[in-house]
Amino acid sequence: MSDVILQGTGVSKSYGALKAVSDIDFSVKKGEILGIIGPNGAGKTTFLSLISGTVPLTKGEIFFKGEKISGLKPFRIAERGISRTFQIVKPFPGMSVLENVSIGALFGKDKIHDAKEAREKTRSILAKVHLEGKDDHRVENLNISERKRLEVARALAMDPELILLDEVMAGLNTSEVDSIMELILDLNKQGRTILVIEHVMKAIMGVSHRVMVLHHGEKIAEGSPEEITSDERVISAYLGERFAKMRGNKNA
Amino acid sequence: MILQAIINGVLFGSVYAMIGIGFSLVWGVLNIVNLAHGSFIMIGAYLSFTLFSVFHVDPFLSIPIVMAVLFVVAYGIQRYVFNRVVRGPSLITLTFSFGLQILIANACLLLWSADYRSIKLPYSASGIEIGGLVIPQVRFGIFGVAILITVLFYLFMKKTRTGRAINATALNYEGAKTVGVDVDKIYAMTFAVSAALAGAAGALISPIMSINPFIGGSLVGKAFVIAILGGLGSTVGALVGGITLSLVETVGTVILPSSVQDLLGFVVLILVLVLRPQGLLGKRFY
Amino acid sequence: MKRNIFLFALGFVVIAAVPFFVTGFWVRLITSIFMFAVLASALNIIAGYTGYAAFGNMIFFGIGAYTVAVLMHKTNMPFPLAFVAAGVIAVILAILLGLLLLRLKGHYFALGSLGAMEATRQIVEIWTDLTGGGQGLSVRSLKGSPFFVNTFFYFAMFFMLIIVVFTVSRLHKNRLGYAFKAIRADEEAAGVMGIDTTRFKIIAWSISGLFTGLTGALYAYWFSYIDPPTVFDVMWVVKMFVIILIGGIGTVMGPVVGAVLLETVSELVWSRFINLHLGILGLIIILAVLFMPKGILSVKWKGIASLWTKKERN
Repeated sequence: MSDVILQGTGVSKSYGALKAVSDIDFSVKKGEILGIIGPNGAGKTTFLSLISGTVPLTKGEIFFKGEKISGLKPFRIAERGISRTFQIVKPFPGMSVLENVSIGALFGKDKIHDAKEAREKTRSILAKVHLEGKDDHRVENLNISERKRLEVARALAMDPELILLDEVMAGLNTSEVDSIMELILDLNKQGRTILVIEHVMKAIMGVSHRVMVLHHGEKIAEGSPEEITSDERVISAYLGERFAKMRGNKNA
Repeated sequence: MILQAIINGVLFGSVYAMIGIGFSLVWGVLNIVNLAHGSFIMIGAYLSFTLFSVFHVDPFLSIPIVMAVLFVVAYGIQRYVFNRVVRGPSLITLTFSFGLQILIANACLLLWSADYRSIKLPYSASGIEIGGLVIPQVRFGIFGVAILITVLFYLFMKKTRTGRAINATALNYEGAKTVGVDVDKIYAMTFAVSAALAGAAGALISPIMSINPFIGGSLVGKAFVIAILGGLGSTVGALVGGITLSLVETVGTVILPSSVQDLLGFVVLILVLVLRPQGLLGKRFY
Repeated sequence: MKRNIFLFALGFVVIAAVPFFVTGFWVRLITSIFMFAVLASALNIIAGYTGYAAFGNMIFFGIGAYTVAVLMHKTNMPFPLAFVAAGVIAVILAILLGLLLLRLKGHYFALGSLGAMEATRQIVEIWTDLTGGGQGLSVRSLKGSPFFVNTFFYFAMFFMLIIVVFTVSRLHKNRLGYAFKAIRADEEAAGVMGIDTTRFKIIAWSISGLFTGLTGALYAYWFSYIDPPTVFDVMWVVKMFVIILIGGIGTVMGPVVGAVLLETVSELVWSRFINLHLGILGLIIILAVLFMPKGILSVKWKGIASLWTKKERN
């Protein structure tokens, strides 16, 4: 459990003069759940996109299981066992729920060749995300909670070693959030490493082993959930400097 | 010879710029590649021709009338018909505008027959001589008016409320809506302005080109090239693109056999698309 | 399922019997309906399923036609061999063109492909020694009675159609088709799921190009004469798009239904109102886009439609 599975040095992404992600060094241990938080616009999604390859790095390198993945095309990175979900869910219309999920099995790590075989294999995944029985439903007819779960199911069908979850709980109610939290812990028990971007504090603090805080593209803090919540810089980033100072004085 | 070609190229490039601006405006704001743009130019030319042959109105003077007519017609088309498919995929908008183009072509065929029409101005022969080169007065006039209209357009986009609303809608459709911009109206305005520019271009070329119901196709082809060369959404870009294309054509006629000219145009187009799709100037938007 | 098989078999028998009961005019008309159905289906693969509106798809038709024409004219090659050669060349062209243009999106791709088609047309017109230039090229025609010739091409196009429709119906449920649909839905999401989008886009265009090219090859043999404006005609592509729209984007039988409808109407109009022909076509296009963006199968005809859509839903 102690070897590093994902590692990045000097990871940066600039759009012209705008530094979306600025010089981040990070490492994630195998089997860890790393939470990533930060105010809106902090660069969290860009950070995930850099790992999954959909956005090219301006500077820096990223290694997965010791091999460099920065610079590879997204599908190559996916093949190695990394899957991700999108903040704005992107189900494939014109195909059923089962077909959507089976795409992960067809093109992910296992690269199953027969579509029918892939469909059978992934049926059980639907149960894991509580979408059982909806195999043949058109994805256009799903509600937001079901779509989010479909997103996770699709990523899961790739049998990933590393999962990148981007605000998978946004828009869900409390019981749905609990459900996803359970799922995350369950996936982790299976040995998968998970990076979670979230705004729902309860969720992040509840599942993460460690938390990384981004602000204006930079990593401003890193540590256990407890350490993070009392870190002045973090509070300052979210609630403003004055409040942080106030709180600091209160504790003093 | 070449110098003459260059001068002609630059002068005529101003008209091409007008064509390019209108086309690229609709593309940038409504995300429609309007294959009927050439038809609008053609309508402008035909209107100008009719005003000249029936009412003896000088083509330059017909411009405001032509622009007004096209503005109104295009506004109607966009607001009540085109708007329904405006945010659809390429397949749909391209096919739709193609249908519109051939509909208009057929209408012109019925109204004006397939004969080539042209305007013979009493002063088309006279020119200004500068050191051995002749600039026909007409071409100079065309250049002047085209530049004037282009500048007016630029000011319209930058200074007026409508112009800025158009800009805002192009850059951020959802955002514009939340701020209270009546997007449907803006779309119709944009399309109408584009058509008016096209009509004016048509009126401007009527004294020097012969018109038939099928010139729409090649004209829109040119508009596309100019828009790509200049980059979507840049008035200056359209000017650069228009003059570039015009120069390539005029100089090309002089130094290349005619058979290769068209081919050269397509090769340039593909090269630009593949190597520098944001255009020679490469700006993001107006 | 059983009812579908029975209906298809019945349809097959009826269609096969037709040439023996009607005049040559009708046989040729139906043959061109088959041809447009094939072309539209082929276009549907890259445009409808994969989401790349190849406005220049006739480039393959023209190349296929000219490959056959040039080979048969210059080297006396028998048609079957030239036919195969046309297919090979079409696929090679699709791969090369795809590598160049499939990185472009939306309108850029559509018009870039059109530009490529026009450029190819220009090259054919200029290269007079090889292609006869603007004068066109004539092809050694099939020997036989008019009935034999008509019937031969009738069945040739019919078999092309069967093969294409079969291919597309497989795409609905197989790995390749899923990749295409995913790419059309969201290329970024498709990428992170492990789909090599470049490779699959090229495969889609190659399949489309192959069928289009082979049809062009058949066309050259059928008409015995081709020239650049006819085989590199953008109007045909537009017609194909309209057919797809009327019939239903990304469906199996859509292009066939659309072809039947459009060609029939076209034939009726063209024979009566030649000088309104363009206008009416334009009007049809506009109406089709406005009122049937999902195709005629989704509009009202629940009765007939349910026969087709049953096949797609399982």
